[in-house]
Amino acid sequence: MTIELMYQYIFGAASLALLCVVASVFTRRVGAPILLVFLVVGMLVGEDGPGGFKFDDFGLAFLLGNIALAIIIFDGGLGTQKDTFRVSLKPALSLATIGVLITAAITGYAVYWVLGLPWQEALLIGAIVGSTDAAAVFGLLRNAGFELKERTGATLEIESGSNDPMAIFLTITLVQILQAQGNGNEGWTIVNELFRQMGLGLAVGFTGGYLLVQLLKKLALPSSSYPLLALAGAISLFGLTTMWDGSGFLAIFIVGVMIGNTPLPYSNDIHRFHDGISWLSQIGMFLMLGLLVTPSNLLPIIVPAVAIAFVLIFVARPLAVVISLLPFRFPWREQVFIGWCGLRGAVPIILALFPSLAGLEHTQTYFDLVFFVVLVSLVLQGWTIAPMARWLGIDLPPTAKAAECLHLTIKHEQDKELLVYPVLAGSQAAGTKVKRLPVTEGSQIVGVIHRGILLHDIDQRKLSCDDQVIILATSSARTALGRVFAPAAHSSFNQDGRFFGEFALHPQAKISEIAQAYGFEVDANIAELTVKSYLAKKFHGKPVVGDYVKLGPVKLIVREIKGVTIESVGLKLNS
Amino acid sequence: MSLSSILTLERTLCGAEGRSKKRVLETTCQFICQDVLSLDSEDLCDKISAREQLGSTGLGHGIAIPHCRIDNCSSITGALIKLEHPVDFDAIDGEAVDILFVLIVPDEAHDEHLAVLATLAKLFSDLDFCQQLRDAKTSQELFQIAINA
Repeated sequence: MTIELMYQYIFGAASLALLCVVASVFTRRVGAPILLVFLVVGMLVGEDGPGGFKFDDFGLAFLLGNIALAIIIFDGGLGTQKDTFRVSLKPALSLATIGVLITAAITGYAVYWVLGLPWQEALLIGAIVGSTDAAAVFGLLRNAGFELKERTGATLEIESGSNDPMAIFLTITLVQILQAQGNGNEGWTIVNELFRQMGLGLAVGFTGGYLLVQLLKKLALPSSSYPLLALAGAISLFGLTTMWDGSGFLAIFIVGVMIGNTPLPYSNDIHRFHDGISWLSQIGMFLMLGLLVTPSNLLPIIVPAVAIAFVLIFVARPLAVVISLLPFRFPWREQVFIGWCGLRGAVPIILALFPSLAGLEHTQTYFDLVFFVVLVSLVLQGWTIAPMARWLGIDLPPTAKAAECLHLTIKHEQDKELLVYPVLAGSQAAGTKVKRLPVTEGSQIVGVIHRGILLHDIDQRKLSCDDQVIILATSSARTALGRVFAPAAHSSFNQDGRFFGEFALHPQAKISEIAQAYGFEVDANIAELTVKSYLAKKFHGKPVVGDYVKLGPVKLIVREIKGVTIESVGLKLNS
Repeated sequence: MSLSSILTLERTLCGAEGRSKKRVLETTCQFICQDVLSLDSEDLCDKISAREQLGSTGLGHGIAIPHCRIDNCSSITGALIKLEHPVDFDAIDGEAVDILFVLIVPDEAHDEHLAVLATLAKLFSDLDFCQQLRDAKTSQELFQIAINA
């Protein structure tokens, strides 16, 4: 490559990234899935588009794709809160294993019928498109501008973060079977491979994650180096696991969850850095995949690809969801939504490179077919996720945005931070006496600054809008403080058609007393229950915020949950 | 629905006293029973307090709608009270309450009860309306603002 050409490449790549970042602003307005835009930009720059740039190096694409995926899944892990495991871990794992298997099998069967390929090859294609894409799901759910009930949102996030290993292992295994046809040992190979992938992924993930957390705690570095330490450590663990034929994606997801859930100095820096770099990875990866495909090759396979995509979206995924979630008794609306959220993304496209790298035949067809299926899924499902959530009534009003605050980590005291909150007009804090702020055990109010001067004797002071409050807080106190200092525009009180109902009920209030107060009859077997135990029973011991039950002419809605118990319940009148 | 069908000037009070939730509810009930002679003030206060036990009727932003069903009451009855000093009402948002709309319905009016209550909750969620009420100086003014809403 000449030096001049290199400069051209640098300029080209950077301006493409720039274009994508700017485009993301517009797509949010149109509601188009952003990943689709990256993909289309890639295709436009590619050989059939006006860009005319020829890129068909499968090996390089595979390498870059793997790195980008690892980073995206790591970031997904960092953002996964351990509290959500209470309701979502088991269902998510069921979806990530049995669910993928069922999806792959049914889609494989469809491929067998539509394309008439031998069953091993048909199954291989089924396996390639079998996994829900973490990048697509994380991206869409977190940028959609609404919140999902915890049960649904967390299940989808954990599922998509942890189901790639299953699809990858199925793909690798089927490739190996195709390579060594007639060996007779196929069943054994599959089981062996499964245990190796999963076992190594888990083992390296947990031990490596533990060691990396210790390093992050103990090592004295300049603050900007902590995110780099986390990233380099995580990708090293990813590489190590894959070198040993384990599932690197599972390992790096676990490492992410462990780091994300440990109070660390500079954990904010780590999160912010990875948010950015994960965006860059998504842009880069989808651009590259768009470049890699030759759109003119897609034309002949449109009809079979659409047929297969429809079977995948309307039969395979919903069926897999229903079967995998059978023991967990999810409400049907949430099952429908999880079924619809089976977005396919970059993983299938990158997996589709596997067969060609392994030297199998028909690989171009695999790649084009899979690419088109992903395209259909992104357009059809990606575009409709928000309306779907609203239509099914499983979205929640956005919670009060945590107030912006200055934030200092006290070094060597991992779970304490010095926070400086400005008192904003309309926030709950404005007008409140300092001693009534929700400062929990272990936290202390350091002082109040009024117009640049630190005040004494602040206990009786009513906070006003020029004040800033300095608090030495434990990390657990931060949510409560954030709510108090949040500006009013984001608070959900007094909005038309209040989501959580007109009045609040004590969780300990008896059903019979509510029935008495509003003059309706209830069954004798629930009359003596408290609101709290009735709701817990209705949702099989695992209620989440936003769950509701109709009771006579009123609706009981779960407003708040702390740990595992219902803290606050709303009463909606005209249900 | 206009408030004029359930509210009268006699049951509108601007500048009521009371330093605690309990005290405010007691004086409010006495005030209502001066106008509606068929009601017993203690009985009414018990019923209202029993409803508060299930959860505060404070809607947030300083508004509360205490309510109950009662047997010896012939029609849906409302009363509007503005307090001189806000009191802690255990409301959703923890804010002290200074405007109360008390709603009393006959035992048998189930559906109407809920419909009126929902309408009231919606009306009192309008912050401009509440500000107008807060600006009122006399009971007469308060009543006019309420029935014109």
